[in-house]
Amino acid sequence: MTRPEEQSPVAPVFAAEWGRLVAGLIAWCGDWELAEDGAQEAFARAVERWPVSGMPERPAAWLATVARNAIRDRLRRSDTERRRLTLATADASVAVDLDWADAEDIPDERLRLIFTCCHPALAMPARVALTLRTLAGLTTAEIARAFLVTEPTMTKRLVRARAKIRGAGIPYQVPSADRLPERLPGVLAVLYLLFNEGYAASSGDQLHRVDLTREAIRLTRQLRSLLPDPEVTGLLALLLLTDSRRAARVRNGHVIPLAEQDRASWDRGQIEEALSLLDGVGGTPGPYRVQALIGAVHAQALTAADTDWARIAGLYQLLPATPVTELNRAVAVSMAVGPAAALDIVDAVAEPLAAYHLLHATRADLMTRLGRTADARASLERAIELAPTTPERRLLRTRLAALTD
Amino acid sequence: MLYFLTHVHTPDATWEPGVEDRVEAWWSEMAQRGLALDGARLDMSGGAWCVRGKDKDAVVTDGPFAETKEHVAGYDIIEAADLDQAIAAAAAHPTTEAGAIEIRPVAPGMPAPELTEAKPGHERYLMLVCWDQHDDVEIRAEDLPDDGEDPMRGWLQQTGERRLHGWQLQPPALATTVRRLDGTTVVTDGPFAETKEQIGGYDLLEVSDRAEAIAIAAAHGLQTRDLRPVMG
Repeated sequence: MTRPEEQSPVAPVFAAEWGRLVAGLIAWCGDWELAEDGAQEAFARAVERWPVSGMPERPAAWLATVARNAIRDRLRRSDTERRRLTLATADASVAVDLDWADAEDIPDERLRLIFTCCHPALAMPARVALTLRTLAGLTTAEIARAFLVTEPTMTKRLVRARAKIRGAGIPYQVPSADRLPERLPGVLAVLYLLFNEGYAASSGDQLHRVDLTREAIRLTRQLRSLLPDPEVTGLLALLLLTDSRRAARVRNGHVIPLAEQDRASWDRGQIEEALSLLDGVGGTPGPYRVQALIGAVHAQALTAADTDWARIAGLYQLLPATPVTELNRAVAVSMAVGPAAALDIVDAVAEPLAAYHLLHATRADLMTRLGRTADARASLERAIELAPTTPERRLLRTRLAALTD
Repeated sequence: MLYFLTHVHTPDATWEPGVEDRVEAWWSEMAQRGLALDGARLDMSGGAWCVRGKDKDAVVTDGPFAETKEHVAGYDIIEAADLDQAIAAAAAHPTTEAGAIEIRPVAPGMPAPELTEAKPGHERYLMLVCWDQHDDVEIRAEDLPDDGEDPMRGWLQQTGERRLHGWQLQPPALATTVRRLDGTTVVTDGPFAETKEQIGGYDLLEVSDRAEAIAIAAAHGLQTRDLRPVMG
């Protein structure tokens, strides 16, 4: 089973309705595999029929009815205890309305589906795979390619995830209001990881990889429309701001640092949307919103030299003070105040980050600006030893060479 | 749903004063709410024995079934609406502050245990049945043998009332581990330790002495049986 072809009239309906259809079917019959099979069958039928008979007046309702009938047929043909039970549950739950005549009447169960796919009792790779399969409607083969594993491996991962949901009793529900603050970060972490996975791969071979950044932004938009939480809005703004720099980020296979990017090629539409999203929320910002606000400062600077570093340094203080955020704050402080003030912050995190190449690279930069060339050289040499990739080592060697001249 | 909770912590875990009272309070509250069905602490200084092989070929060794950083310190059996309720119950227990609680769903169709008064002059032992379940996914009702085909039928008859209750558990792939760090509940997928052999079921025995418990474990004959004294 594949998704409808791009040019098929069914494709836009698939993109808009897959997640909602599956979510509703799971709520109806309680069985994830059956729900997905039913939804697939409904779309397969649509691909066959719609080009001939035209699009039905209410496509969502049409799909839901076809999917339910398909599931019913399948249940009647099978005779295991589990399936008999499922049929009994489903029949009891739909005594009211069998036809879903009006799409507006179909309850939107996607929020339940999101929280269940991203349940903390599932391992992160399982959460990501389930979200892409069940909510976004990517095929197992597409997800396997996106994460560079074989299709049987991805199939096994999905089978195990569904077995855990069923066998361990992971509930199909939105957490209660008092649990929501504890559970929402787990959902946002999945969407953020999904985006980064796509973003990091954006310089690689795009031919056969689905655009994970696009899926992550789409899913975050959906989540925000269902749950307008300030931190969800913050994440959406952060993803849009990061994505707006995508075209400027790579030139001839080289990663271009923020300060050297061509700002004219940043996507203004995405930036404007993110800025207005951020304007619309108040209160103490959570970690994603703080990162979005930092991104917004960069986005609003006409040139790298115009950057409001004092504001960025202040925003970093709103993040939980981990050694890595402190190191980032030090960079901002060095620009806003000066290298000496930044060096104190770097020294304070030198021990936990002793094996992190960027600690030594940052220290080298500060030493250079303070005129301590010998110290700068020693730090750069250490950074080169620790740098994990060739392009990063190449960049550091260029700096070392510049220092010697 | 029924869940088996394994309490684990390091042998040198430090407990805040008054923890005994809090454990008691947890038990009373969970029992009152109908969640906790049975549970006990294990006598961690009382030793542990592993029994492999059957009857006269059985080999008994000192020590638990696997060398892990955290030791099995107790168990609870709860009946919860779903995993979220089981996680909330586990997170409220003091064990999760100094160690962890592994939540394992029970295989389908297992009867709920009945709590019984301790028999005078008897000792209780928890027998954990352990084996490599690395590739096991989920036990479904249709996978379990009918009573007539149960390979353990003979052993069950022979053990009789000395076995108070026992369950087969869903495999470790369905386990969830709960800890509390800095006041927040940390939930992870999987069992508390990545050992080759994992707990697959348990039996609670009430016997006159350790020799009798070991004889029952030897007669069981399947997999690795890990025996530990339950605190009186």
